[in-house]
Amino acid sequence: MKRSSLLARARFNLAALMGAWAMFSHPAARAYEPAPTHAGLTERAVEASRLHQVLAHLGRPLGLLEPLHIGLDLFDRDERRAWQARLDALDPAGGYRPGPDGVQGAGEWVMAGAVLAKTPPERGANHFLDPATGKGLHDDPGLSGLAHSLRLLFDGGASVRSLAAGTAFTLEGKSALDWIWSPGNDLGVPAFLDNWERAISLAEPRARESALVRALLALGGVMSVLEDAGQPAFVRNDFRGAFLQRDDGSAYEQFVAEHYGRSGLPAAAAPVSRPDIASFFASADGKGLANRTQRRFFSEGTIPADVSIERDTKVADVVRRARESLNFSSPTLSLLVLRPAQSRHYLALEGHRVLAYENTGTQVRFFLDDAVYADMARTLLPEIAGYAAGLLNHLLRARLEMTLAETSVTVRLGGEVKEGGALRVFVEDGSGRRRELPGNATSLAPGGEITVSPPAGARKLAAVLRGRDAGGSFVAADEVTLP
Amino acid sequence: MAAWLAVLVSSCGPVVENAPFSARPDTLRPGDLLGPFDGLVVDGETDRPLAGAVVAGAWAFERGIGLQGPAAALEAVAETGADGRYRLKIPADLPRGEGVRLRRFTLIVYRRGYVAWRSDGIFPTGEPRSDFAQQGTRVRLEKWQSSMSHFRHLVFLGGGPAIRAAVAWEVQPAGLELDGASPASASERPAQAARVGSSSALDISPLLSEDEVRGVTGYAGKFEVGKLADRATSDVYDSRHFKASDKPETHDVGLRVWAIGSEAAEAQFRKLLGDLPSAVATEEMGDASLRARGGDVTGFAFLLREKGVVMQLSCGLAQCSEPSMILRLAKLAESHLPEVKLPSPESTGLLPASGPALAPGGKP
Repeated sequence: MKRSSLLARARFNLAALMGAWAMFSHPAARAYEPAPTHAGLTERAVEASRLHQVLAHLGRPLGLLEPLHIGLDLFDRDERRAWQARLDALDPAGGYRPGPDGVQGAGEWVMAGAVLAKTPPERGANHFLDPATGKGLHDDPGLSGLAHSLRLLFDGGASVRSLAAGTAFTLEGKSALDWIWSPGNDLGVPAFLDNWERAISLAEPRARESALVRALLALGGVMSVLEDAGQPAFVRNDFRGAFLQRDDGSAYEQFVAEHYGRSGLPAAAAPVSRPDIASFFASADGKGLANRTQRRFFSEGTIPADVSIERDTKVADVVRRARESLNFSSPTLSLLVLRPAQSRHYLALEGHRVLAYENTGTQVRFFLDDAVYADMARTLLPEIAGYAAGLLNHLLRARLEMTLAETSVTVRLGGEVKEGGALRVFVEDGSGRRRELPGNATSLAPGGEITVSPPAGARKLAAVLRGRDAGGSFVAADEVTLP
Repeated sequence: MAAWLAVLVSSCGPVVENAPFSARPDTLRPGDLLGPFDGLVVDGETDRPLAGAVVAGAWAFERGIGLQGPAAALEAVAETGADGRYRLKIPADLPRGEGVRLRRFTLIVYRRGYVAWRSDGIFPTGEPRSDFAQQGTRVRLEKWQSSMSHFRHLVFLGGGPAIRAAVAWEVQPAGLELDGASPASASERPAQAARVGSSSALDISPLLSEDEVRGVTGYAGKFEVGKLADRATSDVYDSRHFKASDKPETHDVGLRVWAIGSEAAEAQFRKLLGDLPSAVATEEMGDASLRARGGDVTGFAFLLREKGVVMQLSCGLAQCSEPSMILRLAKLAESHLPEVKLPSPESTGLLPASGPALAPGGKP
């Protein structure tokens, strides 16, 4: 046999061995379940928000429980195929997978959106946000990125072609704030605004219902991105330490999934009020969820490096060297208890344990354990749901109020918006079909009102207003049944 | 090389993670997420086997390194027989593809009148369950308590189409709970909340009497007259249950009335039309009417748009042996409507409509 042939054979065997290793080296661990956690947090947030009242106001009397049909047959072929595949992947036990008829409750559609935001899972690379720099997930070119790419190849998350083209996930992503506005995100803010408007303006009732479903899915998608701003790894650019050290994902996320599941998550804190969408995530006043999470908690890959010690090493030196190894300025180390005995101690901030450490005799070892995870979860989970509920309320803050008088309908812009927008009025006939009243694309200011005379034979009037104020874009809608 | 690997990998079934439950209740040996699963469903108080419980098993597959997400799902559904036993086989068509892993199996058991049972959590706290095993699980269903929240129960339950169908009746009381419990609702519409809170409960007792039922159907037996048990009377809803003494449910008559304002009444009527079994629209009464048929029960409902009222009658076929009988009962009820004090329209306009129920007994 020729030498080149032997070499080729050896290379082939080595590659096959690597392939087999990649396939079978996943440790058989307890399930890491981001789906139940996002679904549960979203459900808690939805319940705390005013979505139920808004839906009831829009002629969906059961509100969150209103059965809604997605109408996949109304999608174009490629889109239909893609959505069907994503919906089919959802766990029926989760309570957010529509039946074969494409129907489930309005609240369940929002939960589905939160899970679909990470279906396929590579979408999660766009959920990272460093509130200090505004950057998303980023990684220096190096071995870890290459190794991850190879593992993705074997895992089915990437193809050779996508790796070669640079389109596969290689430890880089858009920032969460860019992602929620990205045209490439079918579950982002633009998708919500467009479909909320279409849920009023489209002619056919089935198409309007389908648009409402897509708006609710997008709400869930945006909430999912915000919820990850309450996961320390996502705000500390920590993919490598938090997600790659174990093949079954983040130890903290697994802890939350195992201890809370979907239905055991705590109730949401009071919905948070913020001036605009971005400030729910990050803001100069430090009150964004990403700011709060980043400064109060460590993630697995951003804890202090272990510090070697000798008999005469001073505690202050350990603290200084540990501090020097930190990538982020907070949380910081102040005082450590370093007795010779190998007992476990905790660094506590604001009443919760954020870091565990031990003096092994030759080094001070830092780590996160279940006690830290328990305090993190207890603190963060209600807060996350409170922020998500607040964001939902913010997106729904504009309200149109239609009042029926004897022969006319008055349309008034209320709610919490500071600027007006373009108002469109639609008339609905007995079959549920709508058409826009000509000449009604008029501007309406907050507190202002216009009067519309419905044409003969009209069964309903509906109105939608799209505008923008300092809080960002908004859509307001209402409808009224005519006598 | 890549093609060779792709063929090799895609021909494999999914990697199966370790199960968080044991193979049997009396062993420490881990179970198998794939199954098969079997067990016994019993009444938590009497320990007797329960027939007719819906048992749904769901297999969730995920993929991804580091970041992980749903890849596929399968569901199998069974119903317990007279012996209370269930059995779910290993699913036949496991998803294939690179990197697909079976991450969890969840069993859900539901029977009306009982608290739902999930293999991964306990109602109402959601705390993790530790008494589930792959085989030989004794699923003890606790009786439903009236103090429990239907909304929280629905949220806890989850489940696919079979579970949703079995639990559909809870949507109606859950909707009312959600509306009444919402602080946002109270703050947004304080005037309405005050009116609803201070008004008296709807009373439809003048609408139909025992003698009128007998007069229409020719029934000679006695009735025990009460309210249907599937939801409580409120300012906007009331019911009457004419329960035939010592006779099966097929002799019963039920009447439900929603007085919820024109818009919500219309929505409620549409909901009944969509959800009641074999419902067809008719033009026999009011602004719109429907007939429905489920098992040995016939149903009739009609809408009075201006009054904001929906009435729904259910009548067992042993009582209403002819289609005209239920229509006559409905007309009698409508004729007495002026004797009923209806809530003012503005206090009802935004209250939620309710889910359908055809059984005259309306048992939970």
